[in-house]
Amino acid sequence: MSEVAIDSDITVRTLLAAAGLTPSEAEIASLVDAYPRHKAGIESLYAIPETRYESPALIFNPTPVFADWSE
Amino acid sequence: MAKDLPVTVADAAAMLRAGELSSVELTSALIARADLIDPKTGTYVARFDDYALAKAEQADKDFANGVDKGPYQGVPIGMKDILAVAHGPTTANSLVLDPAWGEGRQGPVVNRLEAAGAVITGKLTTSEFAMGDPDPTKPFAIPYNPWDLTRSPGGSSAGTGNGIASGLFLAGIGTDTGGSIRIPAAWNGITGLMPTFGRVPKSGCAPLGYSLDHIGPMARTARDCAAMLGIIAGYHPSDESCVDRPVDDYVGALTGDLTGVRIGVERAHHFPLDSDPALAGCFDTALAQLSALGAELIEVTLPRYDEVNAALNVMMAAEALAYHHGDMQARWFDYYALTRSNVALGAMASAADYVQAARVRRLAQRELVDVFATVDLVAGPTSSIGAPTSDEVSGPASSEIWWTKCFTEYWDAVGNPALVVPMGFTDRGLPLSLQLAARPFEEALALKAGAAYQTLTDWHLRVPPIITELLAAA
Repeated sequence: MSEVAIDSDITVRTLLAAAGLTPSEAEIASLVDAYPRHKAGIESLYAIPETRYESPALIFNPTPVFADWSE
Repeated sequence: MAKDLPVTVADAAAMLRAGELSSVELTSALIARADLIDPKTGTYVARFDDYALAKAEQADKDFANGVDKGPYQGVPIGMKDILAVAHGPTTANSLVLDPAWGEGRQGPVVNRLEAAGAVITGKLTTSEFAMGDPDPTKPFAIPYNPWDLTRSPGGSSAGTGNGIASGLFLAGIGTDTGGSIRIPAAWNGITGLMPTFGRVPKSGCAPLGYSLDHIGPMARTARDCAAMLGIIAGYHPSDESCVDRPVDDYVGALTGDLTGVRIGVERAHHFPLDSDPALAGCFDTALAQLSALGAELIEVTLPRYDEVNAALNVMMAAEALAYHHGDMQARWFDYYALTRSNVALGAMASAADYVQAARVRRLAQRELVDVFATVDLVAGPTSSIGAPTSDEVSGPASSEIWWTKCFTEYWDAVGNPALVVPMGFTDRGLPLSLQLAARPFEEALALKAGAAYQTLTDWHLRVPPIITELLAAA
């Protein structure tokens, strides 16, 4: 197994275990296979200099309205 | 039977008011049609035949008493089975959803449609929790495409899409987090609208992505979608993401004239090398028709396209995993195979990655302001292909199809509204689709363009040959 493959295998298994998820070995293999591309997508998000001082599209409302959706 | 029944909501509304057809007659006919066709299309999870007939009867009484609630009164519609409806169960096409969650209650979208007199015929097949592609090992119907029953109707609003295309009801509700209204609309040859994020309250709907979910209309025409949006849009306090803003007159905006409308043409990210051979020609013809209606065409490029899609995938998986975490730990194999693999990706990113993805979305919104300073709409194909086979979307390659051959995620990530309308067929006879995205809260303009385009074309009215044959033989 290549170094990247070993790294992906260890990383995916560790992350799944940390999340308490128990996929089959076949499913783990599929996730390991997909991981480099997924990781590359994540890394691409940090490769945009213009995001350095950008605010995230996340808003915390200090005065939320609590209402039942079925009423 | 087929030629006597209305094909669109507008047609039905006219016939009901002219006394040419009652809601009970229409609903009864569509129930009979569902008996014939649903076993082949896998449209319904649950049918509400008696309930629908009771609602239809009430609609007819209201008409007789001079009570007119609007264009959807007495019109049979379908409801995607991740929205709770008080009358019947909600499953999200899953063994996992707690039945008690939606039992005996329904949210603002359903309430508004029923208050408008719509006849809900039942709950419609969806990808599991709007995410997992069909799994034959699970006890739910597999949905099929009425244009070719070996092919996928798309998802996740599969039943809404194939049900409208098959004529089982005249409109319906879908939801869209990465394309789940627009892809089934595209692959079934009908019209669908993803409204602006926060335009329609999404409470009472099982979530997939809290920052990405949209509820919206699907129907044969942009006009019918406009009428439905006018009913379901508007603030509701139960959905914190819902924006308190006046609802436009979407039907009133459908003037048919696109003079002065600037349409950005986005080719850079919409024509991969393996696009269907008919795609470019259909797209160029559609653009020419929009130009003939008065629109000005301007070439544009969407900013940060790949990164925005990557951001959506990070946030959607994380938000889904947060919702499903406990159930996925305890009931992993009760989930569909592709739901498991999709949601598990939520564990493959850090909290910082999630925040960074949110920053990329914000940057893209900022840069889109410059794009929409030069154009009013952005046009591109919805997908580069006609519907893939059911085997292709059930296997490990399905993600590749959604990511590389469908062009819907970008607009979910930035929150803009996007309308899709049929624009022709592949050589195999599979529908192709045009997507028109607008500025936030300018659904009226997208609908206006789509409706105008549909005055020059009839793609949206085509009936799958299989359906015509089945109805003729009945």
